[in-house]
Amino acid sequence: MKTIGPLPLASAFARSFLIQGSWNFRTMLGGGFAFAMLPVLRRVYRDDAEGYQAALQRHAEHFNAHPYLVGIALGAACRMELEGKDSEEIARFKRAVRGPLGSLGDALVWVGWRPVTVLAALVLALTGVSPLLTVAFFLLMYNAGHLVLRAWSFWVGLEQGSQVGDSLRRVAFPLQANRLAAVGVFLLGGLIGLVAHQGWLLGGWAMTVLCGTGGVWGLWLGGLVGQRGWKWSIWGTSLAIGVILMFGWIG
Amino acid sequence: MSIMLLALLGGLFALDGTSVGQVMLSRPLVAGVLTGWVLGDPALGLMIGGILEIYFIAVFPVGGSDFPEGGPPALVAVATAAAVPEAGGIPAGIALGVLVGFVWSRVGFGSVQLLRRLNGRLVPDPSRREVSPTRIVWAHLAGMALDFARGTLLTAVGLSLGIWVARNLGQFWPLGLPGTLGLLGVGACLPAGAFVRSLGGWKRRALLFGVGFCGFLLGSALV
Repeated sequence: MKTIGPLPLASAFARSFLIQGSWNFRTMLGGGFAFAMLPVLRRVYRDDAEGYQAALQRHAEHFNAHPYLVGIALGAACRMELEGKDSEEIARFKRAVRGPLGSLGDALVWVGWRPVTVLAALVLALTGVSPLLTVAFFLLMYNAGHLVLRAWSFWVGLEQGSQVGDSLRRVAFPLQANRLAAVGVFLLGGLIGLVAHQGWLLGGWAMTVLCGTGGVWGLWLGGLVGQRGWKWSIWGTSLAIGVILMFGWIG
Repeated sequence: MSIMLLALLGGLFALDGTSVGQVMLSRPLVAGVLTGWVLGDPALGLMIGGILEIYFIAVFPVGGSDFPEGGPPALVAVATAAAVPEAGGIPAGIALGVLVGFVWSRVGFGSVQLLRRLNGRLVPDPSRREVSPTRIVWAHLAGMALDFARGTLLTAVGLSLGIWVARNLGQFWPLGLPGTLGLLGVGACLPAGAFVRSLGGWKRRALLFGVGFCGFLLGSALV
């Protein structure tokens, strides 16, 4: 295995924070992946212009993954290039990991960690914590998990190369995502409980019963329609605001 | 605070959304509070940002899926709310701010799609052997610069529109604070229900939700 020193690897890791900078529908993360690999490829193929061109070409091809877990593929690709692996093997590895890295990251971060930290911050805000402290709490908590995940991903990819699957199985991402989901539902229930109490203080029993009934229907309907529910709610609420505004304008 | 400075802040929020870091400065909660703080009313920013956050809680930016943009629209929403004249009051600010935020989140998504198509033309095509280190770096930097410009322009136009809406329609909002928050709260329950479905569905998660609801309700009532 070639040795290139820590700087090109550190540079590749730093560039992974910008990996979505040229996200597009043709190569998706391809351009960003090649951009992040550049410092390593430049050193590995210092005396081989043709090999350098071929390596750039294969890393600029279509690729996609969750931005926080892409470090696994990036680290592993760096190691495979240092080991002088066959170009077809590297391409095969990238094709094999792009799907799992996308779905595992989505379940763990977008569906799990981010909503949990957002809901925790909103619960804090409703208990009277100041707005700036609420935001500071959210950013610190969220990014503690975010940065650890990015660093771990790159490190584990670099350590294990194409054998990274074992580490992914050991961490059991689906189990962690399931735990986060449970915390998320609990916090959502808590948040709605706090809102209901404050609504009662602000609007009295009649308003609480009226809004509570509407809210229960909304929760049920949202559970029924699933992900596209956010579109219904923003257009429905916009329409309601527009109609009320029109009545106010008329008289 | 001039529109230009706020627009530059919107450009930063847009960059954080996808291109750079994704440290969540672009979440409506964060963008709302920071904008409110810049405008001298972080509590208003928290209120608007928190409401938008719940409406967008079931949105997951998976691959090329349809998602509302969060950062610049939250900034525009808070600035709209702050621009409502005193005659309209806080309820009018919240209602109009949220309305403009919703509309601008969809406009923002449209602009992100356009940017991604443009990026597709900028990045080198590996099948045509036009890949070079310079081309890769410039295409990537250009993508980020365009994203910043997009966010800045989106925010500037949104601010102009939002301030116009606030000044001209603010006085016509007829509901008080309980009615306005009640309306928005009921609307937010739909994405909250969708979120529960994404986390396993009501059949599997109802007990946990109920424990959270009753626990926090009783806790806050007792305290």
